[in-house]
Amino acid sequence: MTQSRRTEQEVLQQLSAEERLLLKRVLEIERAKLHITAHDPTDDIIRAVKEIIP
Amino acid sequence: MRLHEITLKNFRQFAGEQRLPLTSDGLRPVSLVFGGNGAGKTTLLNAFTWALYGTVSEDVEEQQRMVSDGVWRQTPIGLSVELSVELLFDHDGLRYRLLRTADVRKESDDQRQPTGVLHLWQTLHDGSTEVVNAPQERVLSILPMGVSRFFFFNGERIEKLVQKGAYSEVQEDIKVLLDLEQVERALQHLPRVDRRLSADLKRHGGDRANEIQTAIEALQDQEGATREELSVIERDLALLMEEREQVTDLLRQNASVAPLQRERDTVAQELEEARSARRTAEAQRSTIIATRGFIAFTGRLSGTTIAMAEKLYERGALPAPLKREFVDQLLEQQACICGTSLADHSPARHAVQDWRQRAGLQAVETAWQRLHGQLDQLDKARDQLQEDLQQVAGRMVVESDRVERLEARKSELDRQLKDSRLEEVQELESKRLGLEAQIASKQQRLGLLQATLESIAKQLGQKETERTRAAVTDELATKARSRSELVQAVRRALNEILTIRADDMRRRLDRKLKDVFASISFKPYVPQLSERFELSLTQMVDGVELPVPKSTGENQILSLSFVAAVSELAREIRKGRRAEGESSEDAGAYPIVMDAAFGSLDENYQREVSRALAEMAPQLVVFVSKSQGMGHVVENLLPHVSHLGVIVTHTSQPDVGETIELEGMTYPYIMSGVEMNRAELKVIR
Repeated sequence: MTQSRRTEQEVLQQLSAEERLLLKRVLEIERAKLHITAHDPTDDIIRAVKEIIP
Repeated sequence: MRLHEITLKNFRQFAGEQRLPLTSDGLRPVSLVFGGNGAGKTTLLNAFTWALYGTVSEDVEEQQRMVSDGVWRQTPIGLSVELSVELLFDHDGLRYRLLRTADVRKESDDQRQPTGVLHLWQTLHDGSTEVVNAPQERVLSILPMGVSRFFFFNGERIEKLVQKGAYSEVQEDIKVLLDLEQVERALQHLPRVDRRLSADLKRHGGDRANEIQTAIEALQDQEGATREELSVIERDLALLMEEREQVTDLLRQNASVAPLQRERDTVAQELEEARSARRTAEAQRSTIIATRGFIAFTGRLSGTTIAMAEKLYERGALPAPLKREFVDQLLEQQACICGTSLADHSPARHAVQDWRQRAGLQAVETAWQRLHGQLDQLDKARDQLQEDLQQVAGRMVVESDRVERLEARKSELDRQLKDSRLEEVQELESKRLGLEAQIASKQQRLGLLQATLESIAKQLGQKETERTRAAVTDELATKARSRSELVQAVRRALNEILTIRADDMRRRLDRKLKDVFASISFKPYVPQLSERFELSLTQMVDGVELPVPKSTGENQILSLSFVAAVSELAREIRKGRRAEGESSEDAGAYPIVMDAAFGSLDENYQREVSRALAEMAPQLVVFVSKSQGMGHVVENLLPHVSHLGVIVTHTSQPDVGETIELEGMTYPYIMSGVEMNRAELKVIR
């Protein structure tokens, strides 16, 4: 895949500030509940999206 | 994960409450504990895994006897004994207190396997402590059980870690260590988020937007189903390929014993021929003996018969050579051939009549002549018999020798073939062909699904562009569209990040593994971690890369290298955490706790492994016996040791006391003649 030739930093740099923020928030949310396999983070992520685009 | 302390209470031979501090720093990351054989080193190692996962390793005997024997004996029936292991550690900037405890009620002298209850508390950054509600899940998210075997292990059995397939098993678990898990989960959850956010666009965005969004969702559903099928196909393919490799391996082994099998077939056939030839010779001998055997006993018969006849002749007992018929004619003519009258009652007639008595019959003469001739034949037949018997006996000896030699060879070949325990080549070959066909069909399907996914991605891109351009006047719908676009952008980025990280992880792990192995091993071998996460050792021979048949020692070095590489990479990756933001100071640090670490390594490797481990592992807890640890191990580890301890064996057996000298001081190692057999953790520093 040609995509994998980019570095993670390059991928992040190409995102807008809003996209970068959401990506970070999503990973934080997932990471915080990584030990709860049954946890559904949909609401948490929607909340994060709505915080970024109110 | 950094260990601070472990406390055991009535755990196996550690009677009462015993504590081992483990706090260490970057300069002195090692805790070194000495203990004799059976002192409790393996038990101490298992105390960690029991606390974390509630399991002990298979090599722990009498697993149901978790409570110290002495304590159990002293406990009256009907009362309970408290069994527990407490572990204090840090992870990702949080302090944890983990306690696995079991109240074991004594109902008889026999113990029953206790079920421990896990409790976990975490101390937050503000100093407050709270209970962790899903303690086992949290422990597994900190250090998945599949990976724990690379961090808590028995050094003497570590080579088992490099068994085929072991690494692909932990591939999933390693994802947690190397920060891939949360990315994968986000990719699972984001489509659901997007679907909910887009609902407003469908509701309020007008017909065109609704139509586009509906098409997008249909494509997304199709993409989801295709991806799901793709992952099933990939899993199936991996399994089929693994099976094909096993079958090919068997065939390869078969090929190596094929000459043996061919030789055994030839030998078996020759043996049958030799047995048959011997049977024929035996039958022939029987026939000769049955039909002509008596001739052997006629050796003196002809001689005796002729001599007897001669004597009879001499004595006149045998008829003279005068025929009775001739005498009868003379008597009838009453005249002798000499002219003498043979008238009745004349003396001459009486004389001739006497001769008649002595004259033989023609038949008797003929019979005698025949008998005489046969006596000659008998001699010849006897000579022939002897010759024939000698010939057949010779053949029997030759065939018997051949049978004996072939039987010995066949037994030898049978044993060699039995050891190889191979299935029939033909069966294996057809199995391999069947697998090839299945693999080809799966690969075809895989290609088709990948092409479908590409086409869906293209269509989705078009539809998303259409959606962006579609005129939407409703504010709610516009917002929903922006939010959905935001989520989609993040999803695409995470997809790319996952690919980058997964690929990066394997390549870095492979590179690290090569570095670590090269720094320990004296041999020009190169370890390789394949894309399927299989570990192998190769060497270049005349420009050709060949797999190395690994010895136990090399497998141990390879496993230790993998452990060190995973440990180092986990730290590196967590430290340089990218999209997730800043990381804590000990992010990705995992301790290595090992029992009998250097048991079967020679001195050179002991030195190199202890040096490498002390330098590479952020925290190292090593349990060794005097014989394992007093040489190069102590020499290399002591400068890095923060805690030093001895597991003192208390035994009721008299006169077996022993001491250990550490840093110029003498400490008890085995205390002899005491009342209760138990282990005591003595902390030296």
